[in-house]
Amino acid sequence: MAPALLVLLGVLAYPIGASLLLGFQDATIAGGGVTSEWIGLGNYERMLSDPTFAIALRNSLYFTFVEVIAVVIISLAVALLLNHLGNRSGFFVVILLIPWALAPVANAVLWKWIYNANYGILNTVLLQLGLIDQKVVWLGDPFLALNMMLIADSWKAVPFITLLLLAGLQNVPSQLYRAARVDGASTWARFRHVTLPGLRVPILVAVVLQSIWALKVFDLVFVLTKGGPMDGTVVLNFLAWRVTFNFLDLGYGAAIANVLFGIMFILALIYVRALDPDRKRRRPAAE
Amino acid sequence: MRRRLSTWGIRFALLAFMILALGPIVWGLITSFTPTSALTQTPPDLSLESFTLDNYVDVLVSRGNLPDALFDSAVVATLTASLSLVLGSAAAYALARLKVPGSNKILLAVLATQMFPGIVIAIPLFIVYSQFRPLGYSLIDTHLGLSLTYLSFTLVVVIWILKGFFESIPPQLERAAAVDGASTFQTFRLVVLPISLPVLFATGVFAFIEAWNEFFFAIILTRVDVKTVPIAIAEFSGQYRTLYGEMLAAAVLASIPVVLLAIIFRRFIVKGFVEGAVKG
Repeated sequence: MAPALLVLLGVLAYPIGASLLLGFQDATIAGGGVTSEWIGLGNYERMLSDPTFAIALRNSLYFTFVEVIAVVIISLAVALLLNHLGNRSGFFVVILLIPWALAPVANAVLWKWIYNANYGILNTVLLQLGLIDQKVVWLGDPFLALNMMLIADSWKAVPFITLLLLAGLQNVPSQLYRAARVDGASTWARFRHVTLPGLRVPILVAVVLQSIWALKVFDLVFVLTKGGPMDGTVVLNFLAWRVTFNFLDLGYGAAIANVLFGIMFILALIYVRALDPDRKRRRPAAE
Repeated sequence: MRRRLSTWGIRFALLAFMILALGPIVWGLITSFTPTSALTQTPPDLSLESFTLDNYVDVLVSRGNLPDALFDSAVVATLTASLSLVLGSAAAYALARLKVPGSNKILLAVLATQMFPGIVIAIPLFIVYSQFRPLGYSLIDTHLGLSLTYLSFTLVVVIWILKGFFESIPPQLERAAAVDGASTFQTFRLVVLPISLPVLFATGVFAFIEAWNEFFFAIILTRVDVKTVPIAIAEFSGQYRTLYGEMLAAAVLASIPVVLLAIIFRRFIVKGFVEGAVKG
């Protein structure tokens, strides 16, 4: 217990504390050393008037919001489909594991190639189908690039959430379905009144986990666009990295990281509350 | 009639699912076996005559640092998995057996630590690693430095999975050992560990995959001496003239070990990790 705790203190607790403090400093790397000076809330005030920060915040929120909704809905559909297959779903579970296990960087280069404006398969296929009449520069427009990034990230995210919801579906007691059928409930009514309530916790967990992962997106931005065009794909995580390690502005970078940390901490609290075993045990007694 | 219709509907949905799930992967594989000259024709020349292993030969033999990167990744991932298991199994056992007060809450707190953005940890660690030189060496650009950092996200999950497993071992086994005069540590080493080996191995595989795929800390904390596979692949995409065939061949080679491990250990991953996320 003690050694593990010591390591976690060293690589988790200490850096988090240090990052919080660094957010109140003006720190830069110069000549191999770090020089710093306390400036109170200076970094946070600077954020308020920093247009790039506003763009990054907006991009992060948009990216997270849309990805969570898209991924959870698609995953739910796939999970229902696979659940329908019962024991024959094994083969499809294997297929789901491939995108999940792929390195995010491998996924990113794959999509960079698919989206390639001159030779990419996406343009080739859409041209053949007649859906577009000339090649589209998918990563050339700020908002379009952000959405293309969304698609590439969702493709990799759906498998895990699907497996999670599939596990949840298998926990819904089959007696409930039988009872609903006996009562003459339609397919939709069974979905609405048996499946969805039974999936309450798995869906909540999926929403929170996927929000956290979407807020953390970095590898894809780095490989696909490096934040461009015109900062159109700069998200908070990427901005904090760029400010710190390209502009060597450690204090401001840490302050941006802390804002992201704050958002994710709230989400983590929701996750913990949703799963708190004491709370779950208390509920049936209260009803 | 309605039943037949729904069967066809399901078949169609499954087909769409297969195409969407596997299409990008299949295209990546095809690309990796096609010379760049054939890929950059319109339409691309995908006939069997253009099939080639040149991309693989190029990234593995002629040029590039992929072999070194594969080695570095193997070292970092193995080190991370080993450290996670050694530290994590002891902590998990303590949490499962020794009645640590409020250990349910501890675990939830531990799980919440999983959700910190890497950047919060990376900036201070970068400063510490560059300035702290116990024996004249800094931890920047070392296998150990990177592995220690990876413990920040593997260790908590390993503890969490193993705690669940240790709790499922009947305590009678350990009580019998205690009656025979074994200390807690002896019981752990001689009774609990041997029956836990399969689960330990599978948990180690999880840590290995996570460490193998990690990019963010690697790009901050390593430079020249240690270059893991994701960094090597990203470098392909940053070149002035991207060699797509070679880039995809590198991505395929990097993915084979982790995809195989994930498929072999799928039952454990789905049971231990996915379902665990819902049960807490």
